[in-house]
Amino acid sequence: MIKFEVFTLDNGLKVLVNQDLSTPLVAMNILYNVGSKDEDPDRTGLAHLFEHLMFSGSVNIPEFDPPLQLAGGENNAFTNNDITNYYLTLPYENLETGFWLESDRMLGLNLTEGNIEIQKSVVVEEFKQRYINQPYGDVMHLLRPLTYKIHPYKWPPIGVDISHIATASLEHVSDFFFSHYAPNNAILSLSGKITPDEAYRLSNKWFGPVEKRELRKKNITPEPEQTEERKLSVLRNVPVTALYKAWHVCKRTDEDFYTLDLLTDILAGGESGRLYSKLVREKGLFSEVNAWLTSDIDPGLVIFQGRLMNNVDIEVAEQSLNEIIDELKHKEPETKEMEKVKNRYESATVISNSGILNKAMNLAYYELLGNPELINSEIENFCRVSPEMVKESAIKYLNPSNCSTVYYISERGEK
Amino acid sequence: MKEVLNRKEAPPVREIDPGNIPEAQSFKLENGIRVYLIESGNEELIRMEFTFKAGQIKEESPLVSTTTNMMLTEGTENYTADQISSEFDFLGAFPNHSADKDTAGFVVYCLNRHVENILRLCREVLFSPVFPEKELDILMKKRLRLFQVNREKVQNLASDKFFESIFGESHPYGWQVSENHFTGISSAMLSDFHGKYYTPENMAVIVSGKIPEELTKLIELHFGDLSHRVPVADGPEKKPAGSNDRRFRIKKPGAVQSAIRLGKPTINKRHPDYPGLKVLNTILGGYFGSRLMKNLREEKGYTYGVHSSLSSLNLSGFMMIATEVNKNVTEKAVDEILKEITRLQNEPVGRSELSVVRNYMTGEIIRMFDGPFALAESFKAVWDFGLDNNYYYRLLEKIKTIEPDEITELARTYYKTDELYEIIAG
Repeated sequence: MIKFEVFTLDNGLKVLVNQDLSTPLVAMNILYNVGSKDEDPDRTGLAHLFEHLMFSGSVNIPEFDPPLQLAGGENNAFTNNDITNYYLTLPYENLETGFWLESDRMLGLNLTEGNIEIQKSVVVEEFKQRYINQPYGDVMHLLRPLTYKIHPYKWPPIGVDISHIATASLEHVSDFFFSHYAPNNAILSLSGKITPDEAYRLSNKWFGPVEKRELRKKNITPEPEQTEERKLSVLRNVPVTALYKAWHVCKRTDEDFYTLDLLTDILAGGESGRLYSKLVREKGLFSEVNAWLTSDIDPGLVIFQGRLMNNVDIEVAEQSLNEIIDELKHKEPETKEMEKVKNRYESATVISNSGILNKAMNLAYYELLGNPELINSEIENFCRVSPEMVKESAIKYLNPSNCSTVYYISERGEK
Repeated sequence: MKEVLNRKEAPPVREIDPGNIPEAQSFKLENGIRVYLIESGNEELIRMEFTFKAGQIKEESPLVSTTTNMMLTEGTENYTADQISSEFDFLGAFPNHSADKDTAGFVVYCLNRHVENILRLCREVLFSPVFPEKELDILMKKRLRLFQVNREKVQNLASDKFFESIFGESHPYGWQVSENHFTGISSAMLSDFHGKYYTPENMAVIVSGKIPEELTKLIELHFGDLSHRVPVADGPEKKPAGSNDRRFRIKKPGAVQSAIRLGKPTINKRHPDYPGLKVLNTILGGYFGSRLMKNLREEKGYTYGVHSSLSSLNLSGFMMIATEVNKNVTEKAVDEILKEITRLQNEPVGRSELSVVRNYMTGEIIRMFDGPFALAESFKAVWDFGLDNNYYYRLLEKIKTIEPDEITELARTYYKTDELYEIIAG
C-alpha cells in the first residue's frame, strides 16, 4: 500500500507526495502533458528536441546540470507520444536545489540560436544512432504510418525525418514552450525522505510564483476505424527477416485495457508465454518473439514482433502466429494460465513500486490518467479479468481487418 | 509578508552524509556454501542471486560458459524446459541468467510467499541440468541469429575488437566469437563445464530484500545436502596480453556513424590507486557533466553521448572511452578525446569542477546502496574481489580528500596516450 497526498497550487500545478523513510534520497518527477502527438505533421520531433533544450539553461540559471551534480543529484528525461517526463534524485539534504532548478525551467528557458543549433546536432546524432545506424531501426517509421492514417501517433517521438529537426528554428521552439510548458499543464510528484508539509512549503515557495499560462488546445482528430487489412513489404540490408503486426485497440483508461494487458501477457509473458513456447521452442520458426500493448492515452496498439529462423518462409511463420491468435478467439484460457499471468502481474507491480523513482513516476502518470489511487488499485482491475473477457477482446480487437503487417525482408538472399 | 525569491542564487548546498553502508549477514551451510543476507526494503519481495566462479575465464573455447548458463533452464532431471519456464512464470518470479568474464550465475526476483517453491526450482536448475540436444540446437540457432544482427552494429564491432586487442585473441577475456563457434558446442562440453564449476564449493548465495524469517532454514533444506566435491585444480592462471598493434579500423559499408573505442588495460579495485582513478575517470567521462560530454556533445554536437568507464576484472582491469559519432567527424572526435586526456595530465583540475565531482560521486554512492537490488549489486561488486565495504569507505574518503595534483599524477601514470588502443568501426 503506497500512501500519498495530493494538493493543487493556485497556478494549477498538481503535486503528489509519498513519504518513504527507508531512503536518504528524494525522487522528484515532473510530467508535462505534452508529447509528440501535440506536434504539427510538418514539424515533428519538436517535443523531443525540446526535452533536450530543457537542459540548456533557464531564465536565472545558466546551466541545469552542474548545480544539480554539486548537490549530489542525478537526472534524466524521456519523451513519448503523450508526455514529456523529467526526473531527478537527490540526497534529502539538498532537496531544495531540485525545486529551484525545476521551477526555474518551468518559468522560462534561456533559448539561444547557439544552444538550439548544438542540441539539433545532438538529436540528429541520436536519430542516426538509434534509428538509422541500427538494424531494424526504421521499423516504427514504417509500422506507425501504416497503422495510423490521421492521428499523430503515426510518427514516432524522434520525428518523421531528420530534416524536421534540422530545420527547426528558435521561433518554433519558443512557441512550443509557451503553448505547452506551464504549471497548469504539469504534474509534480515526490517520493522519498520528504514530509507532505515540506513538499507543500517548497512547492509553494518555488513553483507558486510561476504564472498560469494559456495552453494550446489539444485538437487531435481521432483515428478512423480501420476496415481493411494493411500490408507493407520492404527489403532491407539486414541478416534476418522479421515480421511485425499491429492491431488497433482501446485507450489507456478504457475498461478493456486490463483485459488486453492480460491477453498480451498470455501471448508473450515469459518463456512459457504461448508465442515463445509454440513459435520458438516447439516449431523453431522464430528466433525471438514479443508482443506488447503500447498503453497510449489515445487508442493504442497491440504490437507483435518476431525474427525468423534461417530458411523459414515468412508466410508460413505468419500463419502459425495467426493460429495462436485464432485460438484465443475460440477457446477461453484455462484457469491456471489466468492465475499465472495474474501472479506475474502482481510481482511486476510490487517490483515496479519498490523504488522511489518508480513510485514518483507512477504517481504522476496515474494522476494524468485521472486517478492516482490506481497505483494501489490497478492490480484489482487486472485481477477482475475473466477468461470470457479475454476471448471477447480477442474477437473484438485481433481481427485481420484491424491489422497492419510489415514484412521486413532480408535482402541477403534468404527466404 | 511574502518572501522575495532570489532565483539567481542557488539554495545553499549542504554536505551530504552517506551514513553507514548496511552490512550483509553471512553464514555457511553445513557443506560450506556461503550465504549472505542483506535486509532492506518495504515490500514482501526478495532478490536471490546464486553466483559461481564459472565465467568466461574458465572456458576452453568461446561460448561454453554463456551457453552452459543459458541451458540451465532448458531441461533438468525432473523437468522439461517448458515445465521450468511455466513453473517460474506461474510463481510470478523473474529469473535472469548471467555469465560474465569472471562469474556466472542466476538471479531471481520473487514475492516472499513463493520463496520455498522458487528455492526448490533453483536447486533443480542449478544442480540437475541435463543439457538436452533439441533445446541446445534451438538455443544455438537463436544465438546465432542474434549474433548476426549484433554484428551489424558498429558499437559491437568496435567493442569486440577492443577486448580482443587489449586482452589478446587467445585469452577468454579477449577472444572473439565467430559464426562457426555456434555449431561447435555439444551437450557433453556443457555437462563437463557444469560438473567442474557449478559446485557447492564454487557457489555463494546473496539474498536481499525483506527477508522472510524461515529463509535460512529453507536454504539449508534445499542446498545443504549437496555433497562436497573435490575442487577441480585450476591450471596456471591465464595472463591476458594485449596485441602489439594498437590501432584498428573496421569498415562497415553504409554506416552513417562511427563507433570509437579508446582505452587500455589497467589496475583493478584491489589496487590502492583505484579509488583515485575512479575520480579521474568521472571527471573525464563518467557523468553527464564530464569533460568529454561537454566537449563532444554540448559544445560540438558530434555525438548523442560519450562515456568513459573504469572496470575491474579478476585478472585485470580496463578503462574504455566509448562513443558513436557522425562519420565525418571521426578523426576530430578522436583528437578531442586525446586532447582532454592530455589536458588532465598537464593542468590541475579547478576547485569548482572538483567540488561538483566530489558531491556528484558521493550522491552516486548513496544511490548505489539505495534499495535491496542496488545493495546486492554493490555487495557483489566488491565481494567478487575478496573485498568488503571498506572499499567503499576508502573510495568515499578519496572522493573527499583527493587534490588536483594527485589527479594530474594519476592521469600521467595510468592514462598514457601512447599506450591507448584505438578502435574505430564505421
